[in-house]
Amino acid sequence: MDSVIETEGLTKQWGTLTAVDNINLRITAGECYAFLGLNGAGKSTTAWMLLDFIRPTKGTIKVLGGQGSDPSVRARMGYLPGDLNLPRAMTGKDAIAFFGGLGGGRPHVDPKGLIDRFGLDPSRPFRELSTGNRRKVGLVLAFMTHPDLLILDEPTSGLDPLLQEEFRDLLAERKAAGATIWLTSHVMAEVERVADRVGLVRDGKLARELTMAELRHQATGQIRLTFPTSVDVNNFARVPQVTDAQGKDGELLVTVDGPVTGVLQRAAELGATGIETEKRDLDDIFLEMHQAGGDAK
Amino acid sequence: MSGWVVYRRWLRDRARSTIVWTVGVVLIVVASAAFYPSLRGVSSGGLDSGGSAMSSLLGLSKGIDPGSPLGFLWISLYANIYPWMLMALGVALGVAAIAGDEETGALEYLLAKPVTRTTVAFARFAGAATILLVVSVLSGLALILSLPLLDLNNAVTSKAADGSTVTSPGATAADIFNGTFSSLAVAMGIAGMAFLLGGVTGRKGIALGGASAFGIGGYVLYTLSNMTGSLKALTWISPWRWYVDDAMSIFGLTWSVALPFIAAMVGLLVGWLAFLRRDLQNP
Repeated sequence: MDSVIETEGLTKQWGTLTAVDNINLRITAGECYAFLGLNGAGKSTTAWMLLDFIRPTKGTIKVLGGQGSDPSVRARMGYLPGDLNLPRAMTGKDAIAFFGGLGGGRPHVDPKGLIDRFGLDPSRPFRELSTGNRRKVGLVLAFMTHPDLLILDEPTSGLDPLLQEEFRDLLAERKAAGATIWLTSHVMAEVERVADRVGLVRDGKLARELTMAELRHQATGQIRLTFPTSVDVNNFARVPQVTDAQGKDGELLVTVDGPVTGVLQRAAELGATGIETEKRDLDDIFLEMHQAGGDAK
Repeated sequence: MSGWVVYRRWLRDRARSTIVWTVGVVLIVVASAAFYPSLRGVSSGGLDSGGSAMSSLLGLSKGIDPGSPLGFLWISLYANIYPWMLMALGVALGVAAIAGDEETGALEYLLAKPVTRTTVAFARFAGAATILLVVSVLSGLALILSLPLLDLNNAVTSKAADGSTVTSPGATAADIFNGTFSSLAVAMGIAGMAFLLGGVTGRKGIALGGASAFGIGGYVLYTLSNMTGSLKALTWISPWRWYVDDAMSIFGLTWSVALPFIAAMVGLLVGWLAFLRRDLQNP
């Protein structure tokens, strides 16, 4: 499959600070790739290098088969910055006309549908807009040319739940139309709904890449078992679907991927007096992976 | 095509401030000229009592008579207030072209669109030059229209210190053009300096402070050097040296007027090349 974004040894240093460290990415056409990390992990720095706002200290980047500095490449991209800033007096209507006029030969798309969809008042100047409304302007501008590649930096930040839903629908539509999406986020719920693959970035390094199926696999259930006496964890080692068992002194935490029948049966045999179940959500996985340096299994 | 779109938008974003600047400069120019009827015929002798320091500050050199129409316009406008106003505007525009928007983050979004840094740099520099030209032309025209109303177009005969009579010509549209054009040249030079600093650093404070310091420092250096006779060798760096020495609104345009335009072009080229090669600040 064709690579839409390809980086090799991508590194950005400012003095002694290494913001992005030897990142290798390959994102194929039609894929939605979420770049996850805590604040300052290097997500936005990577986005800025894809867009040629800043240049790599080392390594190479290919975007849509070319360079982010090439206007013909940029014409095929839609970008939503983490914090959109436009001239203060510019209205949404002005912004659509101006940036639409810089289409680089791309057929113009009527943005009216997007304006209605996000409930944007395009007559108000940028200085009067709230954070959420600025976000709406940014989304309309990013999607209005039906770009082949969308680079979205924290796209739902500042949007209310209804608009977040609208955004996800829009994203799904663009994806169905074949667009590639690269987004940064630290909201796992958002990623879970839209992404095909995630890259976990930590201290500038791509700590781990995994598909959503793999990530969901990590969100398996855990069962906390209480016994009147101390029980050896190895009692659960060979039980079907058990991926991990830890604990001591009559308190065991058993991780199960699939049906829990075998675990319950074994617990009953060993005389368990208490059973608590919990399902880890992706946020937990995300944090665990971070704390473990991206190596959580 | 995209250059034209960027140029037009940049002008449109500054339409209101350009109107305010134009009205302000026109009012100050006409108001300053309006003092002429009450100062007409006052010889430079009164000013000489202030010594060389006052003469230097007012730009009185080569025996310019402040009581004559051209001498009056020189000391009341062209030797100080007028170029200062245009220079202030030039600095503001030169800074806004790159560093201003870069610091607010507005430049980032533009550069995510199908437009090159080269297009943005040249279109915006052209926009800055256009605004300077508009303000200069309209204020110059206002002064030309005011000449007959304020009696500045009539020759004046006065008595020199040795008792002889001297007839000074009235101001003409060509004189106003010369004075306005040479002031515009200085403003373009300083705008180029602000653009260069913005292009190299992307920092508004550095561009604003550096260009302002260059203009003010150049004035102080030239004036103090004139008064004390020292540091003469350094005054070539001051845009005021050739501007005040040549007094083009009185003595006509000289080739020196090309110097600030050349400096502006150097500022544009160096600023552009640096802007092409560096990372954006605060993306």
